[in-house]
Amino acid sequence: MKATADAVEIAEAVKGGQVTARAVTEAALKRIERHNPMLGAFTDVTAERALEQAELVDSKIRNAMDPGPLAGVPFAVKNLYDIKGITTRAGSKINRDNPPAARDATLVSRLEAAGAVLLGGLNMDEYAYGFTGENAHDGPSRNPHALDRMTGGSSAGPAAAVAGGLVPLSLGSDTNGSIRVPASFCGLFGLKPTYGRLSRAHSFPFVSSLDHLGPLARSTRDLALAYDTLQGFDEADPAQTKRVNEPTFARLKHPIPGLRIAVAGEYFLGAPEVQAQVQKVAKALEVTKTVTLPDAQAARAAAFLITMAEGATLHLERLRERPDDFDPEVRDRLLAGTMLPAVWVERAQKLRRVFRDRVLKLFDGVDAILAPATPMKAPLLGQKTAMFGGVELPVRPNLGIFTQPISFIGLPVVTVPVWQYGEDLPLGVQVIAAPWREDVCLRIAHQLETAGVCKAPVAQGFAD
Amino acid sequence: MAYKPFDADALIDAAAPLLQLRIAPEHRAGIKLNLKTASKMAALVEQIKLDDDAEPAPVYRA
Repeated sequence: MKATADAVEIAEAVKGGQVTARAVTEAALKRIERHNPMLGAFTDVTAERALEQAELVDSKIRNAMDPGPLAGVPFAVKNLYDIKGITTRAGSKINRDNPPAARDATLVSRLEAAGAVLLGGLNMDEYAYGFTGENAHDGPSRNPHALDRMTGGSSAGPAAAVAGGLVPLSLGSDTNGSIRVPASFCGLFGLKPTYGRLSRAHSFPFVSSLDHLGPLARSTRDLALAYDTLQGFDEADPAQTKRVNEPTFARLKHPIPGLRIAVAGEYFLGAPEVQAQVQKVAKALEVTKTVTLPDAQAARAAAFLITMAEGATLHLERLRERPDDFDPEVRDRLLAGTMLPAVWVERAQKLRRVFRDRVLKLFDGVDAILAPATPMKAPLLGQKTAMFGGVELPVRPNLGIFTQPISFIGLPVVTVPVWQYGEDLPLGVQVIAAPWREDVCLRIAHQLETAGVCKAPVAQGFAD
Repeated sequence: MAYKPFDADALIDAAAPLLQLRIAPEHRAGIKLNLKTASKMAALVEQIKLDDDAEPAPVYRA
């Protein structure tokens, strides 16, 4: 199989007997061996386990048993997901001293049960607290479309691995934008589902109030198929919904009658180059309406405070005992987070409810809202500042300004990759829907993909 | 309201011993910067008026 094959194409070829899961796995392992030193995507490669799983898939096919909808599809996960037998480092130095994980994360088990083949763990910002993909311990992930640029983070390796053609599918996490920012910089489709939709069990947490897990892929059909496979109640995640599964893949091509879409105005406008990406999508969807998400700036500020405080609470013991073993940028934010007055955080949680109620009212009049995913295209690795709205500001905390207000209230989002003619770097647009309407996000994304407005190619030089 | 003047050093000096955190001199500048950012964020949040019956949002089900 070529590096450019998507998961659906691979699964069809494996199930149809045109290729074995073993051959697909071996080809992916070779690509990892060749390209990973350049990309910094994988931190752990589970070759032996992958070949065993591939053999299981192939044996099912030989015995006329159903190998599952993702038969033989290689995938990899951000290294905060538990992988049995491997220490879950969560991008840190400190957690490397922990014993190996005793079991797999629930979502890893779900994909494997569907026939997919786990190839390993992927690089990330330390403890998921960052948007750059620059890891102080493992080195940066590099953007496959421009190796001197950031992948974005914190799901940095998941984006580099998919855009670099190492695997067609990866799993990341998104607390404030950590799926959507790297999807934007690396030109991928990324899904942050509704808060509580997918189980987070047996993954290393960050901010319980805001943590989401989800997939990244190069096609909308892969995103939908993966999402369908990942759904299902898991009592091990106390925030998870008991809603029945709501499959999306079979209905992906069905247009939504009378679909009403608007562009998010005011706070979400962005620089002219950012507006151009949103307008390209809006034009293709014949969108003329604009809506205002009230108090979005305050919502973003509230997400910022909750993140600092809950992240600091999670890491308090480690901050006491091993402050010098953190990435300095992460440590200083977490140490500051331990000292926030409780009233700031409680007020932020109250605003979360108020902001949710106000935004949900907007969905009486629209089915989806478009907003940029990032305020800029991928910065250079090491870049500390950039111009935001005519003002020079630090890059690191500002890459999530458009994603944070949305995850703050748990809305489902698909980031779609938009490329302007003649430009080498993409910028993502968020397609945002009401809670539990992942189907709306995915169908709009599919419509844009089919129309050629959005695409997620393997980067040049990695497509062989 | 804005938290001005915001004395991050005073907060660090009061909170760190209480929390049993050792603050190395070379870490202080980064912590101060983050606390100042947080104070600006808190001021933004406080600009939004909340009713007395506003409920916080964390998920908990008995």
